[in-house]
Amino acid sequence: MTTLRAFTCDDLFKFNNINLDPLTETYGIPFYLQYLAHWPEYFIVAEAPGGELMGYIMGKAEGSVAREEWHGHVTALSVALEFRRLGLAAKLMEMLEEISERKGGFFVDLFVRVSNQVAVKMYKQLGYSVYRTVIEYYSASNGEPDEDAYDMRKALSRDAEKKSIIPLPHPVRPEDIE
Amino acid sequence: MAARGHVQDPNDRRLRPIYDYLDNGNNKMAIQQADKLLKKHKDLHCAKVLKAIGLQRTAKQDEAFTLAQEVAVLEPTDDNSLQALTILYREMHRPELVTKLYEAAVRKVPTSEEYHSHLFMAYARVGEYKKMQQAGMALYKIVPKNPYYFWSVMSLVMQAISAQDEKLSQTMFLPLAERMVEKMVKEEKIEAEAEVQLYFMILERLGKYVEALEVVQGPLGEKLTSELQSRENKCMMLYRRLERWAECNALSCKLLLKNPDDWQFYLLYFDSLFHLIDQSWTPPQEGTHSAEGEVHASISQALSFMEDRIATEEAKESKHLRGPYLARLELIRRLRERSCPEAQQLGEPLELMFQFFVKFGDKPCCITDLKIFLDLLTPDQHVQFINRLMEAVPLGAPGEDGVAFPGDTRALQRHLCVTQLSRSLGQQHALNTQGKLGLIKELKAHYRHGLQFGDQNMLWQSLGLLEEGLSHSSSNAQFKLLLLLLYCRLGAFEPVVDLYSSLDAKHVQHDTIGYLLTRYAESLGQFAAASQSCNFSLRFFHSNQKDTSEYVIQAYKYGAFEKIPEFIAFRNRLDHSLHFAQVRTERMLLDLFLEADISSPLEESVKSMSLCPEEDDILWDSLRDNRDLTVLVSWNPKDRQLNAEHKQRSLEDDTLWLRLRSLTLRLIGCVSALTHPPASRNSEKRTENGVAAKPSSLRSLLSQLESTLNQATQFTEKQLQYPFVGPVPSRLAQALSSGCCQCQLSSLQLPLHLQELEAAGLDESTELQTQISNLFKSLAVQLQDILEKCKGDPLEVKDSQSTTQHFLLENLVYFVETVCIVLWVSNYCVSVLRPLKSSLQKKKKKKKEASTVTPPVLSAYQEFNSSLQSLLNQALEHIKSQEISLTALKLGALSLEGQTQSEVRTFTKMAMDKVQSSYLRSLQEIGELLKKRADTLKSLKI
Repeated sequence: MTTLRAFTCDDLFKFNNINLDPLTETYGIPFYLQYLAHWPEYFIVAEAPGGELMGYIMGKAEGSVAREEWHGHVTALSVALEFRRLGLAAKLMEMLEEISERKGGFFVDLFVRVSNQVAVKMYKQLGYSVYRTVIEYYSASNGEPDEDAYDMRKALSRDAEKKSIIPLPHPVRPEDIE
Repeated sequence: MAARGHVQDPNDRRLRPIYDYLDNGNNKMAIQQADKLLKKHKDLHCAKVLKAIGLQRTAKQDEAFTLAQEVAVLEPTDDNSLQALTILYREMHRPELVTKLYEAAVRKVPTSEEYHSHLFMAYARVGEYKKMQQAGMALYKIVPKNPYYFWSVMSLVMQAISAQDEKLSQTMFLPLAERMVEKMVKEEKIEAEAEVQLYFMILERLGKYVEALEVVQGPLGEKLTSELQSRENKCMMLYRRLERWAECNALSCKLLLKNPDDWQFYLLYFDSLFHLIDQSWTPPQEGTHSAEGEVHASISQALSFMEDRIATEEAKESKHLRGPYLARLELIRRLRERSCPEAQQLGEPLELMFQFFVKFGDKPCCITDLKIFLDLLTPDQHVQFINRLMEAVPLGAPGEDGVAFPGDTRALQRHLCVTQLSRSLGQQHALNTQGKLGLIKELKAHYRHGLQFGDQNMLWQSLGLLEEGLSHSSSNAQFKLLLLLLYCRLGAFEPVVDLYSSLDAKHVQHDTIGYLLTRYAESLGQFAAASQSCNFSLRFFHSNQKDTSEYVIQAYKYGAFEKIPEFIAFRNRLDHSLHFAQVRTERMLLDLFLEADISSPLEESVKSMSLCPEEDDILWDSLRDNRDLTVLVSWNPKDRQLNAEHKQRSLEDDTLWLRLRSLTLRLIGCVSALTHPPASRNSEKRTENGVAAKPSSLRSLLSQLESTLNQATQFTEKQLQYPFVGPVPSRLAQALSSGCCQCQLSSLQLPLHLQELEAAGLDESTELQTQISNLFKSLAVQLQDILEKCKGDPLEVKDSQSTTQHFLLENLVYFVETVCIVLWVSNYCVSVLRPLKSSLQKKKKKKKEASTVTPPVLSAYQEFNSSLQSLLNQALEHIKSQEISLTALKLGALSLEGQTQSEVRTFTKMAMDKVQSSYLRSLQEIGELLKKRADTLKSLKI
C-alpha cells in the first residue's frame, strides 16, 4: 500500500509530517542537493495513495575498494508517525542494501543515537550489529551533554567472511572515523 | 581555499598566512598581511585579490571591486589568482564575471583542460546553455573524454527546456542532441549509465517512445543498474504512453507478484485491465500473450488474481501486507463505477472494511487507509459500520462516569481509529451541542486515561487541554502547531515564538511553514519578533540562490543529468516563492516603520535597501505558493476538509495583500524621492541609486493602489471562511475594516496636489489650496476613525468569564503604520510649504505690506499638524491606560466554570497568563514606536 519512488526536490516541500519529529534532522538545502546530485539512486521516498509522504531513506556509497571499505551508508531514515509499525523502514533498508550489493559494497553501515533504543533494536532485527561506539558524535545545542553514537554494520555478500563487522574493542572519537 | 599542494612554489608559502587569516575570519589581519606582501612583491596579483576578499568581507564592496578589477584586466592565468577571484565574485553575487575571467584564461592557454572545465562550470552557474554546449565540445576536442561530450549534449537539452519556443526545442535542439548521442552509439563509444539516461531523456522529450523502449530493452538498457527496477519502471512508463495495455498489464502483474504492496502497480493493473476489456483484447493464437508475458483481459481473471494475492497474504503467519486487501476494495469501486455485477463476488465493503480493521486497526495508518473507501458505504450503513468496528475494540468495564477505557496501546489505537472514522463520517458534527459536549468530555477522559501508556470559554479550555498535552508529550508537533494557531487567533504572539522554535523548523521549512510565524508577528505589534522571523526566512532564501547553482554543477560532474532541470526548477520555485516576496516586502516596510526618520532619515533607509519605486521586484505571474497547508492533521468529514478552492482563495487573498503592501512600499519610496530629490541631475546616476521618482510613477502607482484596493474590497465582501486547520487568512480583511488602507491611500495622494501647488505658487492657486486644505481635514478625520476602532479592552473579564478582543491590537498596529506614512507625507508637505512660506515673507518684507492673511493651505497644514499632535496624544494615553488595566487584571480570580479537574484549571490559567503577558508586550512595543513617532512631529511644523 505504498508507492516507492525516487526522492525529488519537490518532496522537500512536503516532508514536514516526517521531519517535524524530534529525532529527524532537517538539513540545509545543499546537503540534500549533494545527495541528489551524487547518489540519486540512494534517496528513496515512500508515498501513500493519498499523496502523503510516509517516509524516506537517504544514503550514499563511499570508502576505498582496495582497503575493503567500500560500503553503503545510511545517512537518514525516517518514517512519519502515522505510518510506523508497517515494516516500511525495513523495506527501505532492504532497498538500500540491494543497491549497495549491486555496487559491490562490502557492508552497509549507519550511525544511531545510543539512547534511541527503538531504532537500535530495529537495526539488530534487520541483521545489524554494533561495530564500534563513537564518543560524543551527536552534539547537543541546548547545554545538554553530547551523545554517543553506535556505528552499526551489516556485512554484504562480498564480505563472505564478515570481516568488516568484527566489533572494535574500544570506542573511537568522531575525529578518528573516516 | 586554494591549491596548497604545491609547496615548492614560493608564492604559495608567502600567501599562506593570508589564506589562514581569511579562513579564520580575521579579515583585518588578512588585509594587513596582503599589504605587507604587496610592498615587497608588487606584482603578486593574488595578494591583491586576497586583500579584496578581506575588504569584501568587511563591507568595503566598492574598494574590493576596484582592486579585483585591477587584477582581472591583466587576465591572470595563475591558479591562485583565478581561484581567489572566483571566490570573490561568488561572494559578490557576480558569477557572470567568472565567465569573463576564464574566457580570457582559455584564450591565453588554449590547451588547458582545467581552465576549459572551469569555464564550462562558470557558464553553468549563470545558465549560459549555448556557451556551455560550445565549451563542452571544446573540452572534448582537447581531451576526448566521454563526460565532456555529454556535458555538451546536456547543454543542448537545457537549451530545449529553457527555450520559449517549443517548436525550436522539438525541431532543432532535441534532434541535434539526439544525433550527437546516436553518433556515439554507432561508434560504440557509450560507456556510462548516465549517458544512457541522457539518451532516454532526449527520446522521451521528443516523444519518441518506441525508440526509447528499444533503448531500454536493448543492450544499452543493461547499463541502467544503479536505481532499483530502473528498466521496469521506464518500460512501464513507456507502455502507458504508447497505450500498450497488454504489456502494461503483464508487467504490473509480474511486479505485483514480486512486491504485492506497491500501490502504483495495482492502479496500473486495473487501468490496463479495463482498457483491454474495452478494446475486447484477445490473446494471439500462438506464442506468448505479450512481450512481458501473460495478460489478464477479463474480470474473472482479475477476480482470481486478487483472490490469489489475498490467499497468499492469509497464508502468512505474520506481517500481513495491506496492499492486497485495499486493492480488493479499489477493484470493487472500479467495478461499481462500471456497474459490473461482479463487484458483489468480492464481498460486501462493510464486511471487508471490518475485517481490515480487525487485522490492521491497531496501526496508526488504518484511518488514512479506510478513509479512502468510506464512500463505498451507503449513508444508512454508517451507524452500523461504526458499531461493528466498536465490537472489535477491546474496552474495559465502564467506570463511574460510564466511560469504558481501552486496556493497552493497541486497544487505544483501535479506539482512536473508530473515533476518527466516526468524525470523518460526519457523525460528530451531526450531534447537538449537548451531545458534542458529552463527546468532548468523553474524549478528554480518554485522553487522560491514555496518558498512563504514554465558545470562548471552550477556546480557553482547548488551550488548557493542549498545554496539558504538551506538558506530557513535549515533542508532539501537532500539539505545538494547534497551540500556535490558537494563540495567534487569540492575538497572543508571545507564546508562539517559543512554540515555533521548539518545532526546530529550519531551512526549507522556513518556506513551507514560516507563514505561521510571519503572518501574525507584525500585525500583533510584536515588531522585534517580526523582524527576527522575517530574517530567518530571508537568510534561507538568499543562501538558496547561491547554493543551488553549485549543485547544478555537481550534477554535471556526476552525470546526474535528470537532476539538472530538477535543480533549476527547484531554485526557481524558491526564488518565486510567495512567502519570499512577502517577507522581503514586509521586512522593508517594517524597517521603515521602525527606523525611518527615527534613527536615520527616510531617504537613507530607502537608499540602503535599494528600494526602487519604478521597479516591481515581484514576478506576479510566476509566484509559487509553497506553504504546507496540510501540516496540521485533520480527521474532519470531506465538507470540512481543506480543498483546492480554499487553497486557491487563500493564494488570492495573500497575493492581494502582498500587492497592497508592495505598492505602499514603492509609494513610500516615491515620497522619499520627492522630499529629497537627488543632488546630482545626472539621470543615469539617479536610477542607479534607486531613489529616482518621476511624477508619472507616483501617479501610476497610486492608480494601481486604488484599483487593487477595489479588488480587495470585492474579495473580502465574499467573506470566505477557511477550515480552522487550513490556511490562515491574510491581514486583508482586518486592515480594510480598520480603514487604514483608504487612509494611507488618501495621504499618499497628497503629494500629487502639492506638486501642482509647487508649480503654481501661492498666488494663483486658491482653488487648489482649498482642495488641499480639505484633504488635510479629511485625513485627520480618517485617522480619528481608525483610532476609535482601537478603543476598548483587548482582554475583558465579565461575569467571571474572560473574553478577548484581540482585533483591537491589530487595529492599533494599523493606526501606527498609517501614522508613519502620514508623517512621511507631512515631511514632504513641509518641504514644499516651507519655501513657499519663506518666499512669501520675503515678498512681504520687500513690499512692506502689512497684510496678515495667511494663505489657506498654510493655515490648513498648521491645523492638521496640531490635530495630529492631539491624535497621537490620545492614542498614547489610550495605550498607557490599557497597559495599566491589563497589568491590574487578575485572571486568577476567575472561576473556571465547568472545569472540575484541577489539572485543566492549572493549564487553562497558564494559557490565560500567557495571553495576558503577550497583550501587554504588544501594547508596550506599539506604544514605544508611537512615542518615537510623536517626537518627530515637532520638526514638522512650518
